[in-house]
Amino acid sequence: MAEPLSAEKAAAIAETDFAAIVRRHQAMVYSIALRFLGDPAAAEELAQDVFLQLHANLNGLKSHDHVKFWLRKVTGHRCIDFRRRSRLPQVSLDEAPEPAAPVQTGDPLLSRRLQQLVASLPEKARLIVILRYQEDMKAEDIADVLAMPIGTVKSTLQRSLAMLRDKVTRTIGEVAI
Amino acid sequence: MSVDKDTSRLEDALKIALRRQQPPDEFADRVLARAITKESGKPASRLPWLRIFTRPIFAQPVVRWATAAALVAALVGGGIYHRHVQRQRAEGEAAKQQLILALRIAGSKLQLAKSKVQHVQDQTENQEEKE
Repeated sequence: MAEPLSAEKAAAIAETDFAAIVRRHQAMVYSIALRFLGDPAAAEELAQDVFLQLHANLNGLKSHDHVKFWLRKVTGHRCIDFRRRSRLPQVSLDEAPEPAAPVQTGDPLLSRRLQQLVASLPEKARLIVILRYQEDMKAEDIADVLAMPIGTVKSTLQRSLAMLRDKVTRTIGEVAI
Repeated sequence: MSVDKDTSRLEDALKIALRRQQPPDEFADRVLARAITKESGKPASRLPWLRIFTRPIFAQPVVRWATAAALVAALVGGGIYHRHVQRQRAEGEAAKQQLILALRIAGSKLQLAKSKVQHVQDQTENQEEKE
């Protein structure tokens, strides 16, 4: 029969679990924040705050899928809150920041342009595009995470794609895509 | 080129452009350090009778009263000592003035005696010359 864990041992195991969760999901949380905010320092700060909030709410989360869902949801909401609190104006295409690190594969010019174009999208549309193409989420899952109707998610995605295609074609050329 | 094919290629390009990026080195360590710091700031959940040993020292009433009494005693004692020092200084100043006055009187008396001696000496020398 197994002996019951002491309070210190239980706390140590909880910390180990938390460390594992941070290491497993840090790229996801940081990348959502980075693509949305376009500022590596702000993205790191926001990502740290998300994980600290997770640490405080860890007992309420039941599974790894639940943790992942929770992290995406909280990161998305915090991104929008952060942008509204900082009262920064909507980023225009020319002002959109350069990507923080070069993309390793694909057409680097196209990738850089797409990152700038995504950064210039309205907040909700930007977050939906990031969740769809960075996180490879389905429209239904995005609707769950952002608590919005699935029709809104789908129409926003279509409008965003049309705008991106139009701007990429105009700036880089049809050959690129 | 069809719109569907364009869209598919655009979506592929977006997936490449928006791939996840690793956060800076030691990101996880910084998060864990902040979590531990935050955790250590929480109040400890111990038995109430044990709290007297865990509360900050000045939160205990006995220590608060003792500190206040010590402060009052220090203020009163400091005031008395200050007045004592002032009185001693005034007495010293008066003694100094008296000593200066006495020295001046003694000096003038000495000067007078010296002039008298000089006068007598001059008279004696004059008489000797006449003789």
